Amino acid sequence: MNSVGESCTELKREYDQCFNRWFAEKFLKGDRGDDPCTEVFKKYQTCVQKAIKEKNIPIDNVEFMGPNKEKPGS
Amino acid sequence: MKIWSTEHIFSYPWETVIKAAMRKYPNPMNPSVVGVDVLDRNLDKHGRLHSHRLLSTEWGLPSVVRAILGTSRTTTYIKEHSVVDPEEKKMELCSTNITLTNLVSVDERLVYRPHPENPDITVLTQEAIITVKGVSLSSYLEGLMALSMTANARKGWDAIEWIIKNSERENVPLCDMC
Repeated sequence: MNSVGESCTELKREYDQCFNRWFAEKFLKGDRGDDPCTEVFKKYQTCVQKAIKEKNIPIDNVEFMGPNKEKPGS
Repeated sequence: MKIWSTEHIFSYPWETVIKAAMRKYPNPMNPSVVGVDVLDRNLDKHGRLHSHRLLSTEWGLPSVVRAILGTSRTTTYIKEHSVVDPEEKKMELCSTNITLTNLVSVDERLVYRPHPENPDITVLTQEAIITVKGVSLSSYLEGLMALSMTANARKGWDAIEWIIKNSERENVPLCDMC
């Protein structure tokens, strides 16, 4: 699966792999320890946000009907 | 405006279905999804995992609809917010298109829960609100889109099953396979 930014695809795959492992092996089993994927996520995010700006994808101006609008706690 | 809904049962426990749902793409049933990115992801104070994702899709709109809508642009972006509650065993996912919004909006909501009487199977309830804007044939188009939702829902279920079967067999993270 690709990223919206072609140059971000490698980082995306690295992050997805890290996340999928954490999700299956820690999160679903109730382990709330440190997120091991933070570093790669930051790098991936920087890349994706740049691509989104370049492509003018309007990610912010949408009234989202999400499950709830509560701001996540820390 | 057209409201569409359906329900599907997966013969797998909730955890198995959720793992597949989180890494649903790529799969052979949804070739129109060409990109998936995580925009934000965090745990809230209740221990629920929130994910905001951006899906890049090549819409499989019937050519007659494309002709009526008068657009040649085929890439549509969809924003998706999912919440996984591991305590309550509930995954809720809402999505909406963020481009072509002047023409059509498709707001979809999916909820995955264990079957109340059988924890070995999982119930997916799925609903969508389709609104085609500013064209005279809008109700006709909304009906067509609802038909296409039904076909797409089936592909989605098949996709989850495909992910489950393949990941169980290979026992490797799916992203290694892309």
